[in-house]
Amino acid sequence: MAALLRGLRAGRTLRGLSSVVAAPSAVNPQCSSLNRGFHRAALRLQDEYKSDKPPSSSSSSSSSSTTYHEHYQAHSAEHDTAAEASQHDSASDPSAEQPERPNTSYQDQSGEHGEEYETEEQLQSRILTAALEFVPLHGWSMEAIAAGAETLGLSSASTGMFYNGAGDLVLHFIAHCNSQLTEILAEQHKQVQLGQTEPKKTADFLREAVETRLRMYIPYIETWPQAMSILLLPHNIPDCLKHLSSMVDDIWYYAGDRSTDMNWYTKRAVLTGIYNTTELVMLQDSSPDFQDTWSFLDNRIQDVVNMASSAKQVQSTGEAVVQGLMGAAVTLKNLTGLNQRR
Amino acid sequence: MIRQCLKCRAVPVLQQSARAYSIFPTPLDSEEKEMLHRIVRVDHAGEYGANRIYAGQMAVLGRSKTGPLIQEMWDQEKKHLQKFNEILSENRVRPTALLPLWNIAGFALGASTALLGKEGAMACTVAVEESISAHYNSQIRALMEKDPERYTELLQVIKEFRDDEIEHHDTGLEHDAEMVPGYWLMKNVIQLGCKVAIYVSQRV
Repeated sequence: MAALLRGLRAGRTLRGLSSVVAAPSAVNPQCSSLNRGFHRAALRLQDEYKSDKPPSSSSSSSSSSTTYHEHYQAHSAEHDTAAEASQHDSASDPSAEQPERPNTSYQDQSGEHGEEYETEEQLQSRILTAALEFVPLHGWSMEAIAAGAETLGLSSASTGMFYNGAGDLVLHFIAHCNSQLTEILAEQHKQVQLGQTEPKKTADFLREAVETRLRMYIPYIETWPQAMSILLLPHNIPDCLKHLSSMVDDIWYYAGDRSTDMNWYTKRAVLTGIYNTTELVMLQDSSPDFQDTWSFLDNRIQDVVNMASSAKQVQSTGEAVVQGLMGAAVTLKNLTGLNQRR
Repeated sequence: MIRQCLKCRAVPVLQQSARAYSIFPTPLDSEEKEMLHRIVRVDHAGEYGANRIYAGQMAVLGRSKTGPLIQEMWDQEKKHLQKFNEILSENRVRPTALLPLWNIAGFALGASTALLGKEGAMACTVAVEESISAHYNSQIRALMEKDPERYTELLQVIKEFRDDEIEHHDTGLEHDAEMVPGYWLMKNVIQLGCKVAIYVSQRV
């Protein structure tokens, strides 16, 4: 009887699988969503097998097919209660480099949403985070990801999940750094709001924010040129630009920028320029603790401040000159008697 | 009498400005965020453009007897713009990159129609306000279709502004907008321009 039910459930999943297959699969992004659909269905299948057994049972029962599945069960048995809350909360993983997708599409059909259920994005981000420690050894590559997967107890074949390979790893790292920076800036902002610290001047704030962000690269600085070249690959450029622009927007927002006109664009463009050039300087800096880089950063920010103040001066001089000219014109008109009709 | 009504409408807008942060619900996902950002971006661009149009009209007709009337309508648009500035900056919405273009185009439109006289300026007002209120109406419809309770405050703001724009439209009609030669042509050209501006400002 139980076997029959299990078979029915499996049949339902397979039908779900086939509907995913039937979807038009012409272009690359749709192919990857198809594959993602396969993965979700596979995870769902595992879930169903899992939900048929009591959660604390060992993984020795017959239905486990892959090593990954066994390890997943073992892990889930261990992290039963602890993971419950955290998995629910982290359902939408902010540091996932894949485009955001709602998780509701693959909650179990029978409504048994396993509490230890982990989304694909969360799993990928766990693997990539683990892979980061192998980057100094293997560089930004699939080997690092495979090594990371192995430390989590997964087979190195799970690197098949990463279609973009090293690009996924680099983008994940960048997203991670950006979210760390945002946390730090938000914390500082809160401190200022509470009146516990004095607000910094804009130039100082920008300098510290860029320095903090670039210091996150220091552990990986030897391999960073490789990472940058990966980011410059055409299929990675949109994501790279997206991360860069959101980081710059964050920094300006916490620096207090609330402009609603062209200044919004010019400020961000300027900061992007400063950040990129400082990053390049950092790559070939060999001074102790990158002192040269930070003084380069200082000088660039000073340049911008000087430019802004001289722009203001030019504007006010211009206005004064115009007024002077108008005054001269009126005087001339008076002298020549052209003003008399009025 | 109309002017008194215009003035007494100004008070609730000022009281609301202290709560700009809550006008917008926090978006649940990127799709909603995109939709809300587009709405704010295009409305901000619209109010900015309307501001510049009235500025252009005032530059030509400021010292004539329609000056005070145009000034009053301009003051209301300034309040609208201020409100949208607050919403835009607090919710970190990107302003449209075409703002300098709307700056110049708006001023040019206002000034050139005002050169046709008071009727020309009023006809321009009628055309623009009709476009803007139709646009606000479609936004209100879209938000109501999605979830009226969630967007209550935003809907309130848009409805209030739409009512103001309709009043401007009616004021324009009252002051002989239709007497300008080529009214039909001018109105349609301006409205077509407004439609293009709205479409582009949402995206760029």
